Amino acid sequence: MDIKESSFFQPKELRKKGNKEFRILWSDGHESLYTFRRLRQNCPCALCVEEITGRLILDPDSVPQNLEGLKVQAVGQYGLRFDFSDGHTTGIYTFKHLRKCCPCDQHPNQTLRT
Amino acid sequence: MEQVTNEQVLEVLKKIEDPDLHKDIVALGFVRNLRISDGKVAFEINLTTPACPVKTQMQEEAIKRVRALPGVSEVSVKMTADVRQHKGLDTSALKNVKNIIAVGSGKGGVGKSTVSVNLAVALAQEGARVGLLDADIYGPSIPTMMGKSGETTIRENLIQPKTAHGLKFMSMGFFAPGDKPLIWRGPMAHRAIEQSLSDVEWGELDYLVVDLPPGTGDVHLTLVQTVPVTGAVIVSTPQDVGLMISMKTLRLFQETRVQILGIIENMSYHICSHCGSREEIFGHGAVKTASESLGIPFLGEIPLNQAIRVRSDEGYPIVLAEPSSPIAHTYREIARNLAAQVSISNYASPKLEIVEEPA
Repeated sequence: MDIKESSFFQPKELRKKGNKEFRILWSDGHESLYTFRRLRQNCPCALCVEEITGRLILDPDSVPQNLEGLKVQAVGQYGLRFDFSDGHTTGIYTFKHLRKCCPCDQHPNQTLRT
Repeated sequence: MEQVTNEQVLEVLKKIEDPDLHKDIVALGFVRNLRISDGKVAFEINLTTPACPVKTQMQEEAIKRVRALPGVSEVSVKMTADVRQHKGLDTSALKNVKNIIAVGSGKGGVGKSTVSVNLAVALAQEGARVGLLDADIYGPSIPTMMGKSGETTIRENLIQPKTAHGLKFMSMGFFAPGDKPLIWRGPMAHRAIEQSLSDVEWGELDYLVVDLPPGTGDVHLTLVQTVPVTGAVIVSTPQDVGLMISMKTLRLFQETRVQILGIIENMSYHICSHCGSREEIFGHGAVKTASESLGIPFLGEIPLNQAIRVRSDEGYPIVLAEPSSPIAHTYREIARNLAAQVSISNYASPKLEIVEEPA
């Protein structure tokens, strides 16, 4: 990981807004605003994405519109874990993954799923 | 006679720079308790680690500079230290442990545990409060090297670490004494590591050194996911750097955003005890070259030496058993370099927390 890359994936501020939204301000000044529904749809865990092939197991449309985020926890220094209102907690979201699923216009091609 | 002022003293002390943090010692807030009376000047320099590599030079320089001021007849400088806490994300577990240092290697048999023990004891000798966790589930050897085995006791639901040679330690070996193996699948190893971190009464520590199993596996992941690790040290022989095995462990730490505090070359060379000739059994200097190309601090090199092994088997690490030997000296130098890297890392790393606000 070179220095440029590491600052790109380095969060500066993490903010949970109620149970609906989560905001990350990155070290390079970029801001990502996620709904917890979107985060749930992008869960990287082995129950949601097939580990070897990367094939989606979770149908993004099956995630309820009103899905909430109950708790946000740090995983070491490299990622976050979310407790969702559907009881799902197994995904470890690395900061790299979170930056990749930023929903803004600047990253349309990096969006994995909507 | 003209009376010297606080400002004059601070002005000359500003010329002294911390070589690691690249700022002057006044700006860093190191100068404390400045007292002046009748030309006698006394103050403390509070460093970020008791194991500071330039402690003596800094003290001498401070005395010299203040002494040179007009109206100063006597200078007394007390060197103190306050190890700064690593600013991690999660502070709930191990809240009184300021820094967690993981010691890893690419493969087994490179002397990682011996290095861990000697570094931990060397840090304690410098006056730091040190803990040592033997997380090697495959070959826990630290009870032997520390000269204490047997089971641990439990008090108020907390496992009591053993104490020896001025530090607290805990080993996976305590879960299966003697020749019994630890036959654990991933989840068991995970739970045991978690317990050794959060259910052990570590108390207040400046440094907790964690001796990892060789390679990359469950234990490494559990450690980096459970606690904010200040940084990692890689122990490597010149040979396995050549084989790129150490790089795998290095990558694991980079992937999980654990800062690499440095690499140590172990079994660097051998001095023949009969003829005194130097033999570079595994090649020499490969680790230093690799560290330079990767931009990672090189902490030092330790020779292959029978006394290190003998003292380890006796339960008296060489830094303690033969404190004036060249090898003990090398170990202390590496410990100081390591402590300096911890201070740099804590000074540079930003603090992160998750803020919750209503919608």
